[in-house]
Amino acid sequence: MISLPVLLGVLLIGFLLLQVVPTDPATVVAGPTATKAEVDAIRNDLGLNQPLWVQFGRYLGRVFQLDLGRSMISNRAVVDEIALTLWPTVELMLACLIWAVPLGITLGTLAARRRGTLIDRAIMALSVMGVSVPVFWVGLLLIQYVGGAGLLPFQGRNGPIWTLDGLLSIILPAVTLGAVFVGPVARMTRTSLLETLGADYVRTARAKGASDWRVTVRHALRNAMIPVVTLVGLQIGFLLGGSIVTETMFAWPGVGRMAVGAITSSDFPLAQGAILILAVGFMAINLAVDVLYAYLDPRIARG
Amino acid sequence: MTDAALPLQSEADQRAIAAIRRKNAVWRRILRDPPAAIAALFLIVIVGSALLAPWIAPFDPYASNMRLRLCPIGGARCPDFLLGADNQGRDMLSRILFGLRATLGIGIAAVLVGGGLGALIGLCAAYFKRLDQPLMRLVDVLLSFPSILFGLAIAAVMGTGLFSLVVALSIASIPSIARIARGAAQSIMQQEYMEAGRAVGLGDGALIWRYLALNCWPTILIYMTLQLGQAILLGAALSFLGLGAQPPTAELGSMAADGRKFLSIAPQVSTLPCAAIFLVVLAFNVLGDALRDALDPKLRQ
Repeated sequence: MISLPVLLGVLLIGFLLLQVVPTDPATVVAGPTATKAEVDAIRNDLGLNQPLWVQFGRYLGRVFQLDLGRSMISNRAVVDEIALTLWPTVELMLACLIWAVPLGITLGTLAARRRGTLIDRAIMALSVMGVSVPVFWVGLLLIQYVGGAGLLPFQGRNGPIWTLDGLLSIILPAVTLGAVFVGPVARMTRTSLLETLGADYVRTARAKGASDWRVTVRHALRNAMIPVVTLVGLQIGFLLGGSIVTETMFAWPGVGRMAVGAITSSDFPLAQGAILILAVGFMAINLAVDVLYAYLDPRIARG
Repeated sequence: MTDAALPLQSEADQRAIAAIRRKNAVWRRILRDPPAAIAALFLIVIVGSALLAPWIAPFDPYASNMRLRLCPIGGARCPDFLLGADNQGRDMLSRILFGLRATLGIGIAAVLVGGGLGALIGLCAAYFKRLDQPLMRLVDVLLSFPSILFGLAIAAVMGTGLFSLVVALSIASIPSIARIARGAAQSIMQQEYMEAGRAVGLGDGALIWRYLALNCWPTILIYMTLQLGQAILLGAALSFLGLGAQPPTAELGSMAADGRKFLSIAPQVSTLPCAAIFLVVLAFNVLGDALRDALDPKLRQ
């Protein structure tokens, strides 16, 4: 339920962004030959003389009708621009999660099972390095050594993911983005698994004579997944940050790259729309994580 | 954490307790952990050289010499430039020293401002019980919001530049410090000297400052250090995107972005700033993990 105030805050930022547009909308609508009286009349018609909170109310009304204005550069509707960039971003995030989460869980399980050994230390060292490395460095290294050698494309999206060209072009961005995600997942899995491995039901399972790996995977890991799912949900914001950098580096036509481009070129309506959709998307993912959480832990669903 | 609640002890008892305290002092525990000790030493050197950059940098980081453009490390054209030259023929070593200064400065400023505000929020939430719920809900909202979006939104509203960057990073550091400060202050609220202070007629301000703030600040300061690595990483990412420090400012993130056009011919121009960011953030994270372990009595056993 904390999403509601966040949503209002984001909408307020979006509204403020439209207020700082340096050009006066009434003058633009009236055209260059209009007299001052005509401009004033149009300003009145557009409701620009109303107090700000009334204008904010009208803005909310427009947003709920999916009218986010027009880009000042391409002059296309902001909603259309977003519709074009939304899927590439979703594609990139999925392509990242699909390899980074299983790898992180595997590494975390391995570290927990071999606690205190060299393997554990190596995995934990890798995980600290993973959260410390700037995403853009991973990207630069991949571009330099893999892209530069002509092994894989690193400029833009060459098609949808189900085509071969599209699949090849998503590899480097997805590896870049996932590289910073494996570490936190591995670490959380390890911590959480170490806790569950000490639980009574694990001892019971062992007493029944279940094999070591069966105990780890069937009994402990499933219960350890609950904090991991929460972490993945919480880290979506982190992933979002990474994807904005990754998209910009690899010229990936997603929402993040569009947002950065709109801000640096002062295209306020487009920036407003992009920030709005990023925030709403983030909240939607958090909601999905809550639902998944209830599925993994029936105690939560029953309340 | 504090000595106040201990009953009266003999002098020998007190001496023994003091000896145990010294042995378990946070910094001693850190020194017993080799990676953390190395990280701490590295950070002292790095912060020192960043502070002294104007005096130890061999060249002016903004003086360009187009004849030395993209000179590689150890290149014959630029024997005096230990780490080569960038795309404007500027000395990379000097630029990295100044870049560290800017990047660390941005991070520290942001964590001090944001951490200060966060600490104030946390202390007030612990002291004024009626404010606890509303303030902490506000903190939850801030915490749930991805910090890079603050960066984007603030750059969009206030324009790109160092000031908006520091504002965005400050806001991003408020919530976690607020939570820590509230937790630390709550345990002090239970101490008898709080009641004693109130009984002798001290006002709210004096109680918060003298008893809460002065007892909590070590914990708060340590968590601010933890936050610093994240603030530096985020600040560098925003500068890399062109939303923070602007060229020609020597700042590691914007230097990395600047150099990526020359990746194939002069990799040092963007690789060195990236490596510098990585090492600094890694050192903060390693030290932070060790501090957390040293402070958390549950993990100590």
